[in-house]
Amino acid sequence: MRSVSKSFPGVRALRDVGLTVHVGEVVALLGENGAGKSTLMNILAGVHADYEGGIEIDGQPVFIHSPKDAARHGIAMIHQELNLVPELSIADNVFLGREPRTPRGTIDRGVMRARTAELLGQLGLRVPPRTLVRDCGIAERQLVEVAKALNLNLRLLVMDEPTSALADSEVHRLFAVIRELTARGVGVIYISHRLAELAEIADSVTVLRDGGYVGERAMAETTAAELVAMMVGRPLGELFPRAPEQRSTGPVWLAVRGLATTPKPGSGVRALRGLDFQVRSGEIVGLAGLMGAGRTEVLEAIYGACGAVDGELTLGGRHYRPSRPRRAIRRGVALVAEDRKAKSLVLDNTVRFNTTLVALDRYVRPWRTVDRRAERLAVAAKIGELRVKTPSQTALVRNLSGGNQQKVVLAKCLLAGPSLLLLDEPTRGIDVGAKAEIHALMNSLAEQGTAIVVVSSELPELIGMCDRILVLCEGRLTGEFHRDTGNGSAFDQEGILTAAMAREAA
Amino acid sequence: MTETTRTTDPANKGRVEPPVANGGPKTTKERLARMLPALGSLQGYIGLVLVVLIGIITKGQIFWNQTNLTNAITAFASRGILAVGVTLVILTGGIDLSVGSVLGIGSMTAAMLLTHLNLTPWLIVPLCALVGAFFGLCNGIGTTWLRIQSFVMTLAMLSVVRGIDRQVSDNVAVGTQLTDAQGHLTGQAAAFAKLGTPGHNLLRGNWLPLFGQVGIGYPVIALVVVCVVFQLVLSKTRFGRHVYAVGGNPTAAKLSGVNVTAVTIAVFALSGLLAGFAGPIDAAYSASADPLAGTSYELDAIAAAVIGGTSLAGGKGTVTGTFVGALILTLLDNVLGLNQISDNLQLITKGLIVVLAVVIQRPDFFRSLVSGARRLRRGRNLKSTVDKQKAEGAPQ
Repeated sequence: MRSVSKSFPGVRALRDVGLTVHVGEVVALLGENGAGKSTLMNILAGVHADYEGGIEIDGQPVFIHSPKDAARHGIAMIHQELNLVPELSIADNVFLGREPRTPRGTIDRGVMRARTAELLGQLGLRVPPRTLVRDCGIAERQLVEVAKALNLNLRLLVMDEPTSALADSEVHRLFAVIRELTARGVGVIYISHRLAELAEIADSVTVLRDGGYVGERAMAETTAAELVAMMVGRPLGELFPRAPEQRSTGPVWLAVRGLATTPKPGSGVRALRGLDFQVRSGEIVGLAGLMGAGRTEVLEAIYGACGAVDGELTLGGRHYRPSRPRRAIRRGVALVAEDRKAKSLVLDNTVRFNTTLVALDRYVRPWRTVDRRAERLAVAAKIGELRVKTPSQTALVRNLSGGNQQKVVLAKCLLAGPSLLLLDEPTRGIDVGAKAEIHALMNSLAEQGTAIVVVSSELPELIGMCDRILVLCEGRLTGEFHRDTGNGSAFDQEGILTAAMAREAA
Repeated sequence: MTETTRTTDPANKGRVEPPVANGGPKTTKERLARMLPALGSLQGYIGLVLVVLIGIITKGQIFWNQTNLTNAITAFASRGILAVGVTLVILTGGIDLSVGSVLGIGSMTAAMLLTHLNLTPWLIVPLCALVGAFFGLCNGIGTTWLRIQSFVMTLAMLSVVRGIDRQVSDNVAVGTQLTDAQGHLTGQAAAFAKLGTPGHNLLRGNWLPLFGQVGIGYPVIALVVVCVVFQLVLSKTRFGRHVYAVGGNPTAAKLSGVNVTAVTIAVFALSGLLAGFAGPIDAAYSASADPLAGTSYELDAIAAAVIGGTSLAGGKGTVTGTFVGALILTLLDNVLGLNQISDNLQLITKGLIVVLAVVIQRPDFFRSLVSGARRLRRGRNLKSTVDKQKAEGAPQ
């Protein structure tokens, strides 16, 4: 790709970005959220039709204006949110839109199944092609996407954050598949925020920043520090800035005894079974555990998002009974939900609308009309404080980058002035710079006496940020680790992982 | 439509936005490209102007005079009021198909209260609105507590309410023109009739251009008042914000402390209330309550909302837009009628207008026209290059 430019209404632009992928090479694309990685890749995949600049394949200029054009040139993209139809089988998904026909004009399922089985075999996935995608795990779905791509004479594969939802062993399997593909001459563009992974899989790295091209490095000749500096535009200090001596001394703010839930069977929600823990004001407590261990459920139970719960809770010394979010908000609890697009934001409305959704009552005059002057000033102050990059308060949230969307969610929660802040994967899918800003924000909130409970799949993040880490497994607490060794077992990654995988004793 | 931004942000209109980080538009072309979405959002007004122009060109004074315009708008007023209620429901991501039937039962209630109890219109109208609100409340409860999809719930209500209407009226229309022994309208009947008279001498005077000579009737006043009130409710109140939040993302709304159930029930109740309120107006306008009154009005109401830029997905749209949409439909009916185009062709035209409105209303419509043309041009270039390469014996 050469000198590609693209602009969106009022928000961000891609300026003269270039990227070269050689046959059989893995090129990592790095950049903060909003740097333009996704835009660039979407152009390549034919999602954005109106761009400037040119794309060449084998030295020939090509014009990609639709996903169909991209497919014709052997370009496939695997999005972070996978594009599969859950109610169809693996074979149906692999052949979606390219179904082979029998002479009578009906779909030739025999051919589809045979070919799919062959593709899955190449990827080392032993699942019958009839299996519904709904019943596949995330790692399997990803491989189904790869199979789908392989089915169309693949020459260039774009993978956007493929490992963000995978466990370690699954990551290794995916890497094996990528190496297999490159050995066959397929070029791979690999987008990830995990620098450690890139060192393992990528041959070269291209860095973008603010829609512009920063530079290209051979992976073997660069260091993580250099890459981070390139991404951020300045050398970054310590990644996790919470200093151990800033120990919290506040009173117990949230006390939980015997927290238990009984979700509807089949809803996929993990039942919580008798949790006991406390959070002090000014303390950051981490919740660790594997996926599906019940971490999100704990936060949502405290927030009242899943209705009434069993157990004795006190908040700020007073009895607290979670039942619905409204009541939690009134008691000074705020939740930054795991999936910002699905659970936190009204994407098609403005930054201002979203920011004041929780705390709107503060800007309401008699007759429940909104005092818009006060609202505008408050939003201006908050987005200034959190450094949300937006052209105006009336920009649609949909047009912001992931990191800035997350900051809008935080602004929304903080505007209500919470005394207990529940953060569910607050830095997932966010670039290094925004991550550091959110960590700094958590620190300053804790210093001001806010009690914080944070869920993260990144253990180093929890170890770097938290005063205490609670480990969950299958809906119960299986471990507690302290930063300060004097209080019990100290942070150690291995111990936490062991606790996270502790099976039920009985 | 422009109103979408205006709803959430009227105070900001005259204010200069802070400069964008990447710098503002530089060339005329870029500036034009930025303005294009705004042009697209004005589409509702463009459609209105177009319809009026067609009317004036084809029929001149016959179209553009007070009597004709007042009559046309009066005839549509009750459907316009339904459209406002339906807009509220659609904004939360639901749909209300029962408004036509509720209007019917409202009109029947009004006629019966007048003929049997000889009540004053001042009592009849609120009572009918309450009857409508009751059915709306049922819709709301069905969609929330019983978790029935609003399409299904209100479709059932459409049938149930129409059945009740026909049962209580015994399938006979009830006239509202009660006369005494001398053949004059009784006092209450005369008062009731005023509700629907197009040329009633209210708001008369030269200060009101065009319409002031004849005067504006209650139906039009009712429509305008309803529109103004609900536009203000949506744009200025907490409830309005919550309506947009529920329609835009119900999960986010719930987690942000919005009482999604209450908001949903409220919009259905309001939609029913407005439909019930429109009942007496419709009865007075047609001087009788027909058991079939209001049949398929819900479709006109939904069409008005959609032409006005309301998205059926929820969270996007305004009452102002719906008002403009209703005006377009009204005047279109009128223009086609004046030109003696048959009912059948009118229906076809209406349908096409709805489709056209939805397509043109996309914020990126003009932009995609431009890029589409560019793509076409490029595609042709590409094809000629490829052809050339093939001719040179170097296929890709």
